[in-house]
Amino acid sequence: MKKENIANFYYDYIQPLLTNKKSLIGLMILLFYILMATIGPVVVPLDMNSNFAERYQKPSLKHPFGTDYFGVDIFQQIVHGSRSVISLTLLASFFAVLIGTVIGVARGYLEGIAGKIIDAIIMVFLVIPSFPALLILAAVFMNYDLNVVEIALLVAVWLWAPLAKQISAQVLSIKSKEFIEASKMLNMPISYILFSDIAKLLIPYIFINFVMQIKGAMEFSVGLMFLGLAKFDPTHWGVMLNYALYQAGALYTAKGFHYLFFIILNIVLLIYGGILLSQGVEEVFNPRLRGNE
Amino acid sequence: MNYFINKTLYLLIVFAIAISGVFVLVNNMPGDPAYGLAVSIAQQRNMQIEQALEIAHKMMGIDPHESIFIRYGKFVSNLLKGNFGYSAFYNTSVNEIIAKSLPWSLFVISLATFLSFTIGIFLGAFAAQKRDTIIEGIISTVSSIIQAIPPFILAVLILFVFSVRLKVLPLGGAYPVDIEPSFSLEFISKIFLHALGPMLAIAIPQMASWTLSMRGNTSQIMEEDFIRFAEARGLRDSVIAAKYVRNNAMLPLVASLAISVGYMLGGQTLVESIFNYPGIGFYFGKAIAVRDFGLLTGLFTLIVIGVILATFIADFVYALIDPRVKLK
Repeated sequence: MKKENIANFYYDYIQPLLTNKKSLIGLMILLFYILMATIGPVVVPLDMNSNFAERYQKPSLKHPFGTDYFGVDIFQQIVHGSRSVISLTLLASFFAVLIGTVIGVARGYLEGIAGKIIDAIIMVFLVIPSFPALLILAAVFMNYDLNVVEIALLVAVWLWAPLAKQISAQVLSIKSKEFIEASKMLNMPISYILFSDIAKLLIPYIFINFVMQIKGAMEFSVGLMFLGLAKFDPTHWGVMLNYALYQAGALYTAKGFHYLFFIILNIVLLIYGGILLSQGVEEVFNPRLRGNE
Repeated sequence: MNYFINKTLYLLIVFAIAISGVFVLVNNMPGDPAYGLAVSIAQQRNMQIEQALEIAHKMMGIDPHESIFIRYGKFVSNLLKGNFGYSAFYNTSVNEIIAKSLPWSLFVISLATFLSFTIGIFLGAFAAQKRDTIIEGIISTVSSIIQAIPPFILAVLILFVFSVRLKVLPLGGAYPVDIEPSFSLEFISKIFLHALGPMLAIAIPQMASWTLSMRGNTSQIMEEDFIRFAEARGLRDSVIAAKYVRNNAMLPLVASLAISVGYMLGGQTLVESIFNYPGIGFYFGKAIAVRDFGLLTGLFTLIVIGVILATFIADFVYALIDPRVKLK
């Protein structure tokens, strides 16, 4: 029975993703960075000591991405930074989806005044421009040493609302289906109806949204770090970009080009992986989603 | 009409909650909001920080012993009078800062929106017509790659390539400091040149997303029955493409145009800061950096008003252009 379930899961969810060109390439890019984040720091040592004899070295065998203003190897920083970039992005996407799902399901299920109140909350978060709001929130917490989970939550607070709105609409349409009525008639507890009946139908939907959040989470967290609003890992790519631009002035020297280039390349490639995967996932699962309506 | 009253009431409530939330958040920021101003006064007039703090509080109209409720009441009554507050860092009213920065932001945003929307609609429709050809492949792939570049990264790239290396674009600002503002041709051309960098950084990602949504909408519409019917009636392909397909595919995009303009007002903090372009976003970034709470709250209020107005306009426009939607 268990084995069958796993096999079904594979044929339903994994195999279509591996046969779609977009999602396959997207998965490969993301997997590459996840490997970089997990194994990379173990294999590649990080030496942050400045070495002025080797400032702004061009990429070479010794320094694959060259060195920065202080003569520190850029490749090492990218590899070590990937750990905080990946964990921050995935955690923020996860929290956004979690908050969005819980609030969306609650809104879809509750009627009357409670529903109206949740509606207003969702609306407020939809209307508030997220990035400026994120900046204010980050400025409030600027003097605290936040860890990765807390920063991810700061970012997620401004990402969940669109998902909650979509999910509440989905739940409202599912709610009126016969089998939910049947569960109600059998006096099943509300928690069972919510988490068993409705959640099952929403899983592909939630998965798509998790992947789609990656772009937003990545952009927000890099932007936040770039502005220097969160004291965090000095090798986070956003922090690196901030150093390159404002501390080292890499923008204004011809020798600094590779410094900017490799930071930007990695940021863009990672976001591109997320976009490709989400496009692929949509192509694969959307017909099925429509079938549910 | 009933619909508009309901909608207006709803948006007003949302506005009140949003603004109050930000007020509470900002007023819980660590540190005295007048501290920054006090430090500069202390330096200018050579006095003790305690004394300077007193003056700073008076200048900003803050009583440190006041409760947050009284401050909130003052904030609301000022807002109702059209007073957005006081900026400690710039030592002037927020209204004045808005008056000099909003035109620059609107200038860049409208240019960027106009360009990205027209080109995006054209490219998207074109790609959908050429379905499964190499042209569609190129347009779609390039658009998704562009979408992967956050606007502020694009801004860094544009600044590096065109301003620093090629020296065809200026390094920053809205116009050169050595020219007096006037309506001369020279000055106006300089204004456009200075706006070009931030404009491109905003417009290019926008264009990519318009292209992709237009392509999606167009290919969806092309499957519809009324297109088959139009073909069966023997209408020319060019007529079908322009009148039946493009107009219908554009409908939802035109409505979201207003919303995207609204959000852009607050979304350009990073781009405007990188180009030192003195729009709303630039001052917002400055306010964050120096913790100018008055300026921060004032600008944020303005941004939220912009978004709410845009949402309202979008609803109205949609009802206006789509005969299927009736205002209830």
